[in-house]
Amino acid sequence: MNLFPKKPYPSSKEGVIKCIFFCEFHHTAGPIISCQVPDNYISKELFDSISVYIITKAELQRSTITVTLEDYKVLGFPIRIDNKKYARNAFHFNLCFVCDSDTRTVQYEHVVTKLSDYLLSMEIESAFLSANNPSDNLTPILEKVLHDLNTKGECALTEGPIATHLKVCKIRSDPQLVLDHQVPIFVKALPANQWDLTTQQVTPYIDGFNHVARIAALSDVDNSLVKACIQNLVYYNVVALVPLFQYGNVYCSTPKLRTLAHDNELQKRCLHYVTRSHRQFPNVRDVFRVYAAMSRGTTIKDLCSRFNLCSMRINERKLVQFGVLEGLIRRIQKYPILIGENSELQKSFTGSCTMDEVCCATGVATQQLEDRLERDHNIVLMCK
Amino acid sequence: MMEVSPLSIILVKSDSKGDRLLFRYPFQVQETIQTPSKVRKNLYAFQGLEETIQSAVIVSTSNISKGTITGFSDEVLSSLFAVKTDLCNKKFELKVNDVRFVSHPTLIQLKNKQADKDDSGIMLINIVFALSALASHSVVRCYHDLSQRIGIILRHEEKRCGYISEQTLSMMSSHDEDPTNNGSAFQNILERCNLANNIKKIYEDLCSDGVVSVRINRWIGLSFCLPQKAHQWHLRGQIVEPEDIDRCIQALRPYHSLLLLHPVEHLIQYTCLDSSPSLEKLLAQYSPMKNLQTLAADSDLTLAQIFELSAHLVYWAKATVIFPVCGTNKYVISPRAPLNHNSPLIEKFNRLFPGCHLIQIINEFSVPTSLHSKLNPLCKTTLESSLAKYIIWMLQHHLLLQLHTYIEYMPTENGSSGSKSLKKCGKTPSPRASSVLSASYPEVARTESESGTSTVSEAPDLIKQLNLENVSFASTDDDKHDYQEELLLDFPDEERSQIFKIPATNTPDDLKLFARLCRKRYFEGTHHVEEIMYLENLRRSQLTQLLDKFRDVLITYDSEDPAIAMFSWNS
Repeated sequence: MNLFPKKPYPSSKEGVIKCIFFCEFHHTAGPIISCQVPDNYISKELFDSISVYIITKAELQRSTITVTLEDYKVLGFPIRIDNKKYARNAFHFNLCFVCDSDTRTVQYEHVVTKLSDYLLSMEIESAFLSANNPSDNLTPILEKVLHDLNTKGECALTEGPIATHLKVCKIRSDPQLVLDHQVPIFVKALPANQWDLTTQQVTPYIDGFNHVARIAALSDVDNSLVKACIQNLVYYNVVALVPLFQYGNVYCSTPKLRTLAHDNELQKRCLHYVTRSHRQFPNVRDVFRVYAAMSRGTTIKDLCSRFNLCSMRINERKLVQFGVLEGLIRRIQKYPILIGENSELQKSFTGSCTMDEVCCATGVATQQLEDRLERDHNIVLMCK
Repeated sequence: MMEVSPLSIILVKSDSKGDRLLFRYPFQVQETIQTPSKVRKNLYAFQGLEETIQSAVIVSTSNISKGTITGFSDEVLSSLFAVKTDLCNKKFELKVNDVRFVSHPTLIQLKNKQADKDDSGIMLINIVFALSALASHSVVRCYHDLSQRIGIILRHEEKRCGYISEQTLSMMSSHDEDPTNNGSAFQNILERCNLANNIKKIYEDLCSDGVVSVRINRWIGLSFCLPQKAHQWHLRGQIVEPEDIDRCIQALRPYHSLLLLHPVEHLIQYTCLDSSPSLEKLLAQYSPMKNLQTLAADSDLTLAQIFELSAHLVYWAKATVIFPVCGTNKYVISPRAPLNHNSPLIEKFNRLFPGCHLIQIINEFSVPTSLHSKLNPLCKTTLESSLAKYIIWMLQHHLLLQLHTYIEYMPTENGSSGSKSLKKCGKTPSPRASSVLSASYPEVARTESESGTSTVSEAPDLIKQLNLENVSFASTDDDKHDYQEELLLDFPDEERSQIFKIPATNTPDDLKLFARLCRKRYFEGTHHVEEIMYLENLRRSQLTQLLDKFRDVLITYDSEDPAIAMFSWNS
C-alpha cells in the first residue's frame, strides 16, 4: 500500500541495460570484444573509436569510466592482471554495460565494479576468462545478468566455485536532519520483519501527530537514536516529516491545489483520507472550499468556526496532513526576530528559528510564548 | 548544492606528429612531482595486502581535490582527449570516477601547411572542461556549447591569420625548453601565449559569476552565460536551469513586467558598443510599474521585440519577470526569504534607506498586504513613492511574493466532473448551442442592445442564428426563463439546475458574463483575476462582483503565479 506515490525523478530517466559486452586486449589483435549480449549491438568500428577508454593506460585501471556517444553510453571498469603466464605478461579486460545516451547510469557503477571483481576472482582461481573460448563460459552469465537486472533489479550468480549477488541501488539524495519538533508520518506500510530493535521500539508511536521529542519520551529511547531511526525511514520513503499540528497553525494554499479539482484519482484518495467515518465520505466541493479558505492570517481554529467541518464529515487534522503531504497547502511558519538590543534574547530570536523550534527547546506552550512576544515591541513575529 | 564551476580547462592538440597536452588551467608549480598512483592510494588499506592479490590494484577514490582535478598525469589526459577522427566535430563526454569531461573536439585545417604533400595539415584541437560528475545534463550541454564556440572561433582565426599554428608552436617550444613537468612550463606559456591567457580568463569568469567575456586573439569577442551560475548572485543556492528560463519566457504575457536587478545606468555601461539600439530604447523607457505592452508602446518597439529583449535580459541574469507594481497587488513574505540577524540584506537596506529597518518594513507583509491598503489618504504621494521603492527593492531581492486570486468552477458537490462534459460540448456544439456561443461574444452582445435594423446591416450572417433570441428578448417575463435555459444550453442539466439556484442568474448581464467566462475556461485555476481582466477587458470591480454573486459555484483561492515562480526561493 503506497498512500503517497512519489513521482520519478523528472529530468532524466533511469536507463535499462541495452547490452553487456566483455572485451580484452588480445596479444596480436589489440582490443577486441570477445563476448557480447545481444550479439553485434556495438559495431566493430564504433568499438575501435572508443577502445582507448575501455582498454586504458595503467593509471586509469580500476576507475569507473563512462563514455557518452551520440546514441549510447558505455560504462566500464578496466582491470589488468599481471602474471608471467599470459602473453605480454598481463591480461587486460573490461566488462561494459551499454545504455541509451540520455539516461542515468550512475546506479550501475557499483554493479559493474562488483561484477568485474567477480570475473577477476574467477580468472585468478580457474583461468575462467583466458581459457580457449571465453565466449562459451561468459555468454550464459552475461545473459542472466542482463535479464535479471533489467527485470528484477538484482541478480545472483551462484554457479561455479564463487558466488556473487548483484543489486542495482537507487541513488538517493541524503535525507535532511530530523528536528525535535517535526512529526513523522507513515506514507506506506512498514515492510515487516527487517528492522532493528530501536526502529521496532519507535515505530508504534509514529501516528502522524506525535513529534520527535514526544516519541522519544513515549518510547523511552534516546532522542538522538529516535532521530537517526526516523532519518533512516525517511531515506527509504517509508516516513515523511510534516510540521506539528496545532489549532493555532496557519496554512496557505499552493499552486498545486489546482490539481485537486482536476485529478479524479487524487480526489478519491483525498476523500478517503480526510473522512471522519468510512460509512459516508465528504464531498469534493466542501474539501476544496476548506483548502481554498486556508490563507495567511487564518488559523485552523478560525476555519473550524467558519465551516461546520463535522457536518461536512471532514477530519481537520487529516485534512491538513493530506494537504501538506501532497503539497496542496503549506504551513506558514512564524519566526520571532529581535530588532532591539537584548543580548539575552539575541540567541533564540535570530529570525532563523521557527516558533515550533523555540517552543520545543524551551518547553513553553505556543500560545503562552506568542502572547508574551506580542507584548514586547522589540520582537517582531514574521510569518513566511 | 551542485557545483557548476569547472574544475579545470584542458587544451589538447593532436596532429600527424602525435598528441600533446598543451595547456591546462589552473596548474600548480611544484618542486617535486607527485606520482599519481601515490595520490590515489588508500591510506587505510593494510600494507602488502594489495600485492598478495595482484600488483596493479589501485583503490579508486576521488579524483577531485581542492577544487581541481588530481590523479591524472598530463600524458593520460592527452591520450584521452586526442580522440579518434570518428568522434571529432561532435559532443564528447567522458566520466572517470567522479570527474566529468566535456568538450567539442574540433578539426582545424592549418593555414600554412596545406601545400605539404606528406602532411594533411589537419590538427585536432580539443578544449576540455573538467566538471564534477554530479553536474546535470543541462550544465553539460552549456559547457559543450562553450567548447564548440571556442572551436569555431579558433578555426576562423587559423584561417584568417594562422593563430593556432603560431600558438601551438609557441606552447610546444615552451614544453620542450622545460621538460621537468612540474608546471613551470605552464607558467612560461601563460606569460607568452595569448590563447593561454584567454583560457585563464574563461576559467576565472566561469568561477566568479558565470558570465564569460573575452576577446580571443584580441579580435573575436566571446560572450557566454552559464545560467546555472550567473543567477547565483541574486538567488544564492538555487540552480536556475536554462529550461526554467525557457518555461518562464514561454509564459511571458503582455501584462507582465520586467524588473531590472541592476540600476539602469549600470546596464547601459555594461552593454557593449555594438549592442542593439532597441535595448537602449527599452532601457530609456523602463519602469517596473509599466507592463510589457506599455513599455513596447513607449519605446516604439513591437511587442515581439520587447519579448525577445526581456528573454535576453532574464537569461543573462540582469532582470526578472514580475507583475507590474501597482496599488492593488497583494504581497507576502517569500517563504525562503533569508531574513535573520546574520543577513547582509538588513545592512544593505539600511544603507539605502537610512532610518528604516528592513524587518519592520517587511513584517507588514506577514499577512497579504497591498500598496493601497497601506496608504493614508492625507499624505498620499510621498508615502506611496517610498513604499513603492521598498517594495521594488524587496522584489529585487526576492523577499516578497505576489499573490494572485485563482478561480475554480465547482457547480456540483463532486467538483469539476461536469466541466469535462462542458469541454465536449465546446468541441462539438449543437447548432442551437453554437448560436448561443456566438451570441456570448462582446461584439454580438452589443448589437443585441441596438435596434434590429442596424444588426441586419452589420452582421447579416448572424441574424438567422440570433433571430430566435431576439424574439425571446422582446417577449415578456415568462419567457425570461427560456432565455436563461438557452444561454446555458451547453451546460449539463445537473450543473444548470445548480446555477439557477443563484439569485444573480435573474440578471441577464450577470448570467451572460458568467456563461462567457465559464465557456472560455477561465475558471479552471489556470487564469488569475488580473489575467482575466486583461484578456476580457474587464474592470476589477466587475469581476469581483461576479465572483461574489456566483460564490456558490466559483471557489477562489490565493496563490503565487507559477509562471514566474522560478524567481523566488523555493525548494
